[in-house]
Amino acid sequence: MLRIDRRTIESFDWVTLLIVIVIAVIGIVTIFSATRPLTEGEHSPFYIKQATWLILGVIALLFIVSFDYVWLSRFCLPLYILGILTLIAVYIAGKIGMGAQRWLSLGPLSFQPSEFFKLIYIIMLSQQLSIINGPLRTTSLFRVFFLIVLPPFVLLIKQPNLGTALIIMIIFASLILAKGLYKKVAILFVIISLISLPFLGNIFWEGLRDYQKNRIVAFIEPKADPSGIGYHINQSRITAGSGGLIGKGYMNGTQGPFRFLPEKHTDFIFAVFAEEWGFLGSFILLFLYLFLILRGLDTARKARDDFGRLLALGITLMFSIYLFVNIGMTLGIAPVVGIPLPFMSYGGTALLSNLLSIGVLISIRSRRFYLF
Amino acid sequence: MNKKRAVILNTIIIFSFFAIFVRLADLMILNHKHFSEKAKMQYTKAEDIRVRRGIVFDRWGRELALNLELESLYCDPENLDLDDDNIKKLASVIAKKSDVLRAKIPDEGRFAWIARKLEPETAKMIKELHIQGLGFQTEAKRFYPGGRLASHILGFVDLDNQALEGIELKYDKYLKTGGGKVFFVRDAGGRTLSSGVDTEAKGNNIVLTIDQGLQYIVEKEIEKAISKWNAASASAIMIDPLTGEILALANRPAYDPNYPGKVTGFEKRNRAITDCYEPGSTFKVVIGLGSLEEKIVKPDTLFDVSKGGINVGGKTIRDVHRYSVLQFKEVIQKSSNVGSIMIGMQLGPERLYKYAKLLGFGEKTGIDLPGEISGWIRPPERWSGTSLGAIPIGQEVAVTPLQVLRAYTTVANGGFLVRPHIVSEIISPDGKVLFSFGEKDKKRVISQATAETFKDILKGVVDEGGTGKRASVNGNEVAGKTGTAQLIDPRTKRYSKEKFVSSFVGFVPADNPKLAIIVVVHEPKGQNYGGVVAAPVFKEIAEQALSYLNIPREDDHYQTSLVVSR
Repeated sequence: MLRIDRRTIESFDWVTLLIVIVIAVIGIVTIFSATRPLTEGEHSPFYIKQATWLILGVIALLFIVSFDYVWLSRFCLPLYILGILTLIAVYIAGKIGMGAQRWLSLGPLSFQPSEFFKLIYIIMLSQQLSIINGPLRTTSLFRVFFLIVLPPFVLLIKQPNLGTALIIMIIFASLILAKGLYKKVAILFVIISLISLPFLGNIFWEGLRDYQKNRIVAFIEPKADPSGIGYHINQSRITAGSGGLIGKGYMNGTQGPFRFLPEKHTDFIFAVFAEEWGFLGSFILLFLYLFLILRGLDTARKARDDFGRLLALGITLMFSIYLFVNIGMTLGIAPVVGIPLPFMSYGGTALLSNLLSIGVLISIRSRRFYLF
Repeated sequence: MNKKRAVILNTIIIFSFFAIFVRLADLMILNHKHFSEKAKMQYTKAEDIRVRRGIVFDRWGRELALNLELESLYCDPENLDLDDDNIKKLASVIAKKSDVLRAKIPDEGRFAWIARKLEPETAKMIKELHIQGLGFQTEAKRFYPGGRLASHILGFVDLDNQALEGIELKYDKYLKTGGGKVFFVRDAGGRTLSSGVDTEAKGNNIVLTIDQGLQYIVEKEIEKAISKWNAASASAIMIDPLTGEILALANRPAYDPNYPGKVTGFEKRNRAITDCYEPGSTFKVVIGLGSLEEKIVKPDTLFDVSKGGINVGGKTIRDVHRYSVLQFKEVIQKSSNVGSIMIGMQLGPERLYKYAKLLGFGEKTGIDLPGEISGWIRPPERWSGTSLGAIPIGQEVAVTPLQVLRAYTTVANGGFLVRPHIVSEIISPDGKVLFSFGEKDKKRVISQATAETFKDILKGVVDEGGTGKRASVNGNEVAGKTGTAQLIDPRTKRYSKEKFVSSFVGFVPADNPKLAIIVVVHEPKGQNYGGVVAAPVFKEIAEQALSYLNIPREDDHYQTSLVVSR
């Protein structure tokens, strides 16, 4: 089971690990600036917590890499059931945080099960799709949808965790396309999707809390802005836009530390970074992300089996969606959805689960030459 | 996954990044300025600098206008805990009705004044009510310790310390220098993040040429005169004839600048410079000086005024008393209209106009108080056939009391036209002199000989047989001239038989002039001659002023007896 041999170390994907650590360190540095005290007073310990999580996360990542990812396919069912159970636990006993039930307390720690669940879901979905031979048939499509996709989707909507619910659907659609369908099934899938879209949309809309509806209204029609949610969008545009070409300089940003920009060290951290490092800094940062994503897709292409391919694709797409939605929201070209920027936003659970996901990716890439 | 799908996926990803870069460039480069300004607007906060107006002093450093620090009551409507009970209590303390008070409090917002510049005891009582949402801010209230004293000189400011009249208005930019706004860096909660910013600006102090003691004397005496003669209004000015420094300037009616809300337009008028009148005989200084300067006459040149009247352009002007033949100096001393018109005819319109202008008539004196008017005198080409029978005796011209006084100072100081002024120095808060009047604008307009000759004639006005003998001062010689002018009745457009302007202008001690004074009384009842109404006021003012200034009597031997008699 534990297979660390010469070849694994030789083909270890240092590049991905390095890029992720660089981005995470940039994140900590930005959190440090965003949460700096304005007058006298102690610096909020967010950056220390985040750094601790980074170190723990990298250790966990290396631990994951040391296992062959095939191991994951064997344990995915119990993991999935555990994941569903924690989501239910959150629904029942979750502690209220950020206006949604997402947190679960385990002794002194509180964590967001949905963060880990995404990874478990991708593993489960990849495994289920990979065991099917050839393109998908209608029966298997429905089986996968009703057994694996729908339960967490409903639970996440109930939380409500709009962002994760959406991502679960998008990843489902992407992976079945990647797996391949018979033409008839594909047409049926498209027709069912189109028919159920308004229906699903309605359930989706009804499932939203008022503040979430407001966010979408505010995005589509900023002037109507029912609850001042346009404030977020406006402030993040001001924050990023005032950075200019070369930025105001590190620790010189104003909008975040002065509390004009809400969620400055979590969801809107990119705006704080852009303000201080300018267009050039943002360009370089986004290039790191682009490189990471393209490398993830490359890993998927080079994976030695269907499970690895779908798993790598699912993880990479998840990061891509997070990135685009978060940056899009920050720059005012996507609605405000409470989604963190992977590796940069403050949040221990998210950082840990993201690093674990990267661990899986590295594991897939490092073992691409293995043969059974 | 086949190659085609991989290419499509990669394209989608790269295209998405491209879209983000475009948006990023749009926000951060193309619209950078817009967002930068918006950010700046958010994190800077402007606050008014608290301006403490400069202090106004008299010539000896006595405070005429100063600042009191009083507390003003405001409320924060969002945090206000004001139930009916509290409203009643608060209303009773600030002496307002409950509903009046309630009307002052808006439903929303974070700031509204309730009562400005409260008395210290009132503020203390409000504080003891402990009502949440009320706050105090210290504001400077302008305070004029003299009350009505020198009100027309000082002017006043309103509740927001905006200058409205007088020195306050004319020198506003010096008194409230600094000001404007300071900019703070602030956070979203409105907390100020910058420190060490000076939020208070002190204005420059101003030293006037006014002497509070002399001002008091002048005000007291015209007050007395206006009640004695039941007059409509009165003005008096005292000036240093050598320098043009205004030592006192007063009008009645006056007002108390501490209560700016109660000041009426009628009380506000600084009549000494903003109102003109027909001067009557005091204007004879023009033909007197003009004809002497042009050597048309000598003091003993004879004029036959025995007819008691003179016809000019079909209109006959008469003397009050009938004389036979008068010397030039007697024409002035007895204020013969017929004689004056004869002199005026010899001088002719052109020269008459020239000397009137030389002596400053028809033009502003340039005094540093707001609202001065120029009066008017028509140039000869616009004179009518009867003008030569009117202008020499002070009709058909409009003058201000200050203009007349200035014309007489040329006689007092040996022929110079001075520039009347009221501010001697402007001093910055750190003691630097920013402005000092010094000696400028002193222009010779007539020869010293002419001035001396005419001065001797004016001395005779106050002597026995002159029209102004009631102006004579105990112990010092006075030179001066009376004036009595009829007012034009606004209904009939003719000279009124009841309404007069009585005036006296002169200087003392005649041979070493220290003070030049004009007294103008509008519409005295019962008597109307300047020699009867205004001359005694001059006498009272001059005697007290000379004593106040310790100016020795010219007849030294009287002094001992005076001391003994006290």
